[in-house]
Amino acid sequence: MPNNQFENNVLAKVKDLKVHFNSKRGVVHAVDGVDFEILNGETLGLVGETGCGKSVTGRSFLRLLPIPPGIIKGGAVNFKANLVCTRCSGRGCSECGKSGHKTEKGEQVDLLKISDTRMREIRGDRIAMIFQDPGKALNPTLTVGAQMAEVFLQHRSLEILDMAGLGQIKNKAILRFAKQDVKLFDKILLLLPKARKQKLKVQEAVKIMVSKALSETQVPNPLKLLDRFPHELSGGMRQRVMIAQALACNPDLLIADEPTTALDVTVEARILELIRELQLKRKTSVLYISHDLSLVRRICDRVAVMYAGRIVEIGKAEEIFANPSHPYTRGLMAAVPSNGIPRGSLSAIKGTVPELIDPPDSCRFSGRCPYEVNGCRVNDPKLRKITESHSVACFINDASLSWCAPSFEEERV
Amino acid sequence: MTNPPQSSNITITKDSAFSVKINRFLALLQRLLSNPTTVIGLIIIGLMLSMAIFAPWITTANIPDPYQMPRDWGAVRKPPGEMGYLLGTTNEGGDVFYGIVWGSRTSLQLSIYVVGSTMIIGTIIGSIAGLLGGWVDEVLMRIVDVFLSIPELIFALAIAAVLGPSFTNIIIALSLVIWVKYARIMRAQVLQIKQNDFVDAARIVGDSKFNIYIKDILPNAVTPVTVQATLDMGNVVLIGATLSFIGLSEAGIAEWGVLVSEGQAGIASGRWWASTFPGLMIFLWALAFNLLGDGLRDALDPRLEDR
Repeated sequence: MPNNQFENNVLAKVKDLKVHFNSKRGVVHAVDGVDFEILNGETLGLVGETGCGKSVTGRSFLRLLPIPPGIIKGGAVNFKANLVCTRCSGRGCSECGKSGHKTEKGEQVDLLKISDTRMREIRGDRIAMIFQDPGKALNPTLTVGAQMAEVFLQHRSLEILDMAGLGQIKNKAILRFAKQDVKLFDKILLLLPKARKQKLKVQEAVKIMVSKALSETQVPNPLKLLDRFPHELSGGMRQRVMIAQALACNPDLLIADEPTTALDVTVEARILELIRELQLKRKTSVLYISHDLSLVRRICDRVAVMYAGRIVEIGKAEEIFANPSHPYTRGLMAAVPSNGIPRGSLSAIKGTVPELIDPPDSCRFSGRCPYEVNGCRVNDPKLRKITESHSVACFINDASLSWCAPSFEEERV
Repeated sequence: MTNPPQSSNITITKDSAFSVKINRFLALLQRLLSNPTTVIGLIIIGLMLSMAIFAPWITTANIPDPYQMPRDWGAVRKPPGEMGYLLGTTNEGGDVFYGIVWGSRTSLQLSIYVVGSTMIIGTIIGSIAGLLGGWVDEVLMRIVDVFLSIPELIFALAIAAVLGPSFTNIIIALSLVIWVKYARIMRAQVLQIKQNDFVDAARIVGDSKFNIYIKDILPNAVTPVTVQATLDMGNVVLIGATLSFIGLSEAGIAEWGVLVSEGQAGIASGRWWASTFPGLMIFLWALAFNLLGDGLRDALDPRLEDR
């Protein structure tokens, strides 16, 4: 697709993504034509109420949707990995000519269409994810060490072997052990004294890598943490483990699905700081899914506001917060409690997110919108640019229409 | 990150994963032993097991087949405690004590074969149904429903009757009846665990489906299956004894159900011992495994783990 090539600074581009879910009462249009791009190294905030399709959008990057009942109805998630040399993870080794990058240019792939094997290579290595509830995202039967080891064994087996001083080893059983692909016969081979010693060496190398990754998330005494089970840790600690696991392979894109919702405020601040710090260090892009506008304002470079399976407003964070141009964005902002607002006057958007079963061809926000005019009920607004970096899907102030609603200011005065 | 450490820096410490497993097992044991009823169950099971293991030393094995009751036609209907017959003899001159000791072996065989095979088959089928879902799940679960629709005892009875009276056939009949329970439990567990974030997290890491099943789903799903298996160790002997009592195992075999059936003709005429002692053994066996099963369920409950 030559006409579809990215500009250099774009990491991923979602084009007209449509994810639907079959339900007993009809087809739910959970994500219905979403377009946005993620630039290299930026933090893009994805905000909206519950049930707007934020998480589904985020998860489609990793093809983590329950299919069936989900169907990917159309669109593409194009992604161009900055291929880092897997042997040295960017540190520079003989194989990649000290550049840290693979010789071939990262090719652009459609994450929705590539094979499962390719997808598995990308998952955890190039794109990683942090979940909302760290208590549920760690396997209760595995120790922290064993759990984190999986990432390295899956994507960094050559590096592990190098580290264990077994770089040139020919023993297939050990090679497979380092790739976490042990066959039944290998288990017997690994019992031989020499292989057993090599196996322990590999395990030790993995341990060192894991504790290094953990120490980057400022966990006190990472070596001690390795043999503990998730239920023995606090919430903040668990989220740190998740972050360490997600960032272990220096991914290009980190999808953070409300990573601090389950944490208390002080821990939240520290975790956010940590993500920010690691992101700057590694030049990782972050897709930050949240419903918390004040938080998004603090940490995001750009913000996309989602409503009912669509992006209704997207732009730089300052622009959006200085000049919210969609009634929904305004409603969300008015609902955020802040210092200036007197007690009891907190406003909420009336109504709830509509059910997305076979939605009509109208503005999705009509019915809840205070600025609604007749045309909103029969026309479907598309995203249009109001400045170079700021787009909105609303008829308000749309000069090309004769029937458009009055602008916010006129209405208010 | 700095340069990777040289290989000389790597020192092999002890296999820590192994010691973690040991510690976990010890903690489980401690929780198990803190419950007095579980301890009682464990003691009874321990005594039964040692009786089964040391059977040839406790009594002289019958030649050629030790699982057949020895017949002493000169000493029929002896009451308990009489010269050499500790628990008396049956109408046919079978030593009740011998039957009880060797019967513990038959019972153990029965429960291990039946529970072992059904647990494996049920776990595999339940996992397949839960993991694949769709029409595979639908077909497998409808088959399970058919099996579940007939009461356990009656179904086992029918199968054993069709296959003919033998101890092996009782094992087969019970296995055919019981596997569905495990399939059901396993499917429900897999479906529930599949929803968890940590399964998604493992997928995100790039794990293969098989690895995810082995590492994330199976270990979290085995608890109810283990508890059910422990309870079934007792129940199987109970049903097995019922089938034997009706006469669906070989006559003359050293089995508690057969002994009870042999002795029941004498109860009316006051010879209570031939039925009572083996009946007591069946009761104790089922009770002990039920106590242990309850204890295991409490001890394995992850919510109680920290207490």
